[in-house]
Amino acid sequence: MATAELSLKVQAGSGSRIKDFLNANLINILAAVLFLLLAFFLLYPIIAVLIKSVRGPAGFTLEYYRAFFAKSYYYRSLVNTLLLGAINTAVCLVIGFCLAYMTTRGPWLLRKPLKIISLVPLIAPPYLFALSLIILFGRNGLVTRMLDLHWELYGFSGVVISQTLAFIPLAYMMLESTLMSLNPNLEESAYDMGASEATILRTITIPLMAPGLLKAGLLIFVMTIAEFGNAAILGGRTPFLAPDTYTMITGESDFNMGSVLSVVLIAPCIVIFFIHNYLLEGKKFTTIGGKPVAAEPRKITPLIKVPFVLITTLAAGAIFICFAVVLAASFYKILGVTDRFVLSNYLDFTSNQAIYNSIRVSLVAAVIGAVIGVLLAYVIVRGKFFGRSFIEMASLSGFALPGTVLGIGYLLAFSAPPLQLTGGIMILALNCVFRFLAVGVEAGISKLHQIHIEIEEASADLGASFLTTFFRIVLPIMFPAFIAGFIYTFMTAIVSLSAVVFLVSPGFQLAAVKIFDAAVYGEIGIASATTIKLVLIVMGCVAILNYITKKTRLGSAMGKPAA
Amino acid sequence: MSGERDARPMLVLRDIHKFYGTNEVLKGISLEVNEGELVTFVGPSGCGKTTLLRLIGGFTDVSAGDIILDGKRVNDLPPNLRDTRICFQNYALFPHMTVAENVGYGLKINGWPKERIRARVSELLEMVELKAFGERMIDKLSGGQQQRVAFARALSLEPKVLLLDEPLSNLDANLRLVMREEIRKLQERLHITTVFVTHDQFEAMAISDRLVVMKDGLIEQVGTPIEIYERPANEFIAGFVGYVNFMDGTVSALDAAAHTASVDTPYGAFEVSLEQKDIAPGDEVLMVIRPESVTISLDCGIKRKNVVCGTLRSYMYAGSLAKCTVAIGDKKMIIDQYNPRDAQRFTHADKVEVEIPRSVHLLKKKKERPS
Repeated sequence: MATAELSLKVQAGSGSRIKDFLNANLINILAAVLFLLLAFFLLYPIIAVLIKSVRGPAGFTLEYYRAFFAKSYYYRSLVNTLLLGAINTAVCLVIGFCLAYMTTRGPWLLRKPLKIISLVPLIAPPYLFALSLIILFGRNGLVTRMLDLHWELYGFSGVVISQTLAFIPLAYMMLESTLMSLNPNLEESAYDMGASEATILRTITIPLMAPGLLKAGLLIFVMTIAEFGNAAILGGRTPFLAPDTYTMITGESDFNMGSVLSVVLIAPCIVIFFIHNYLLEGKKFTTIGGKPVAAEPRKITPLIKVPFVLITTLAAGAIFICFAVVLAASFYKILGVTDRFVLSNYLDFTSNQAIYNSIRVSLVAAVIGAVIGVLLAYVIVRGKFFGRSFIEMASLSGFALPGTVLGIGYLLAFSAPPLQLTGGIMILALNCVFRFLAVGVEAGISKLHQIHIEIEEASADLGASFLTTFFRIVLPIMFPAFIAGFIYTFMTAIVSLSAVVFLVSPGFQLAAVKIFDAAVYGEIGIASATTIKLVLIVMGCVAILNYITKKTRLGSAMGKPAA
Repeated sequence: MSGERDARPMLVLRDIHKFYGTNEVLKGISLEVNEGELVTFVGPSGCGKTTLLRLIGGFTDVSAGDIILDGKRVNDLPPNLRDTRICFQNYALFPHMTVAENVGYGLKINGWPKERIRARVSELLEMVELKAFGERMIDKLSGGQQQRVAFARALSLEPKVLLLDEPLSNLDANLRLVMREEIRKLQERLHITTVFVTHDQFEAMAISDRLVVMKDGLIEQVGTPIEIYERPANEFIAGFVGYVNFMDGTVSALDAAAHTASVDTPYGAFEVSLEQKDIAPGDEVLMVIRPESVTISLDCGIKRKNVVCGTLRSYMYAGSLAKCTVAIGDKKMIIDQYNPRDAQRFTHADKVEVEIPRSVHLLKKKKERPS
């Protein structure tokens, strides 16, 4: 009798013990699994590149690095890349600042149109600008023929111009949010004390924006030196690191040298990452919050107004023209050369096949990315375990890593058993997942910060276990973040080029790679039409995203902590 | 009052209109502010008081009308050329500068030599009792200290008019009382013309020479705190400044010798002292009865003048006073019983006697327009 009772107790105990264990440790188990995933799909490929760069046939060697620094070609490539980054960053910051200033401080009339045009490039793949420059200034370009121009587009200046146009929206977005967070009363106070517009800019606005400017500058620099498409399409005989890596792998199959080039490309990114963390640590000016006031337009002096309006309208005009010519070119075999309006570019089989493949890859990437992103966000925000900040850093850093590096890394890491993924759809999807993890994680984190921990505590207080709370409370609230992560990942993945260009197999073309190839081979019509299709797909995504954001605004307001 | 020492108008607003698109937020504002006077714009949110302040400061253009500062029309002068200085609600102190740099900013911009800036800044910091804080960064100051820095910065260039936009709203209740006294003292000492904006009626009454009560872009009444509270021009003002019980009635007789009027109401006849000249027998009026002016006591036996009987509906003890709700017929009246410690205590459903004072203000009801 007594033994039977005892065994019953033990049985019941062991069942609930598993549950108890899960309840107490689920977040840690989750963290461990996610850590392994990050290690395997993000760190391992990078380490594989590092190893490849120092391992010759006879073991460890620095021979490849010696070769890199000995050859003037590579040296020139490095200098070109850094110079491109510097010029690009400076120009983007100036234009981005002017745009942000006009849309937040300028006349009401200009604010909306300038804002829309400066953000439009976000829906386009960055290499759209290379394409439109070819249409305008290429050897058979519209402007070239019209003005009998002898400007050599293919080279340093062409790359600088296309890169600048491509990165204006990023600069604009970051600087606009900095300017928006600046209390307009500060500038008004300076104005009130007798300062002129230029003095306000010099003594108040720019000093207060310094951290934001620095942050934007560093990010643009990192992204611009790693950007592959524009440099590869327009570089011509001018060497740049990112496209050189590509030629090294696909042209010469020299993985050792390719890896060295990649490491050299990562180096500035890592340096800047640490500068960023070190310099900007706690460097944010806080002010007493009052009611947020939209800055009323000031009477801007012509001294400031004229150059600002000139710069912003020129930039906006250039962006607009680039889109317009790509749209126009998509209806001609070669715009300006053949003048028959055709739809064949849109009906091109290989282009549509590539679009279909891209959608499939991006969908898979979006599902996986959104799930991992939401879980990572949860672990990062709510978890308390050793290595939490490492997970956060790793999951957010993929974005700033040069795509070429992760491309080669995946080739090196996953082309041999036990995990042979090359040639399939999975390697492309996984690559996109881990490169663009940051977007899903960011969406999740910002959503979670809106959910007061008290909501979870209230659930626990009412007697729910951790598992119940997680599935019944946390996941439903996180759903909008999941959707946002899904769509963001999809949008980013479908236009991305620099990593997947290494990973596509001959029988499985992606849209971005198709555009790249077509642009290089001079099939301008097909390149343009494929680009327009991508733009339309991304526009659709943005529309869905907007709709969802509006729908869920109620939910997010509910989750906001009071005061 | 400081305004009377020299009744020269320092700031004149003449029929100011302001449109945002088709939305008219100021509908014809005219006002004179005398030199050395502290005038407060008060009103519910959205009444246009902050817009009006920004117009005076030059941050917003007027759509029509004139702003005259010390005899000169300043409509077209931007803020940096206008001799007014503003203190924003959030102080708008420059976070990348020290206290001294903040206070000296305007002096530096206006090309003062270094030595004079230093002397002036230290004089100003002494004035606001922050002499030891010159080298501190702004975020190392408390809210009250930041408020003082903002005040010193606004005074640094000795403006003709000082504009204060809800300067106390970010402080906690006790500090508010202290700061408002300090601001008032300094303002009177410096004899500086000041326009103060607040939505807090009691703050407005405590600090001002005159109040400008606004509603929906119009001025409802301008007057001293006493005039506004004791002789409100209309129902809105009576209700906006403090709580009020209204009672409908008809003037039945006037006694010119005794300066009283008799008012018939559904609850009985009352005799009130007559302050207004324009009341005539037969006029429909609204009696403005302040809760603290009414006397309340137990029992309701002897019929006396100005006394009605009621039933206590609620009694809320709040230390310095007890709030009583008394039902008189179908009417509920709020009555404040001060110093309840030494007074009679009531319980629910007590029969009580309510005495309406003779000093009640009468509002003449507008004659209904024949349609």
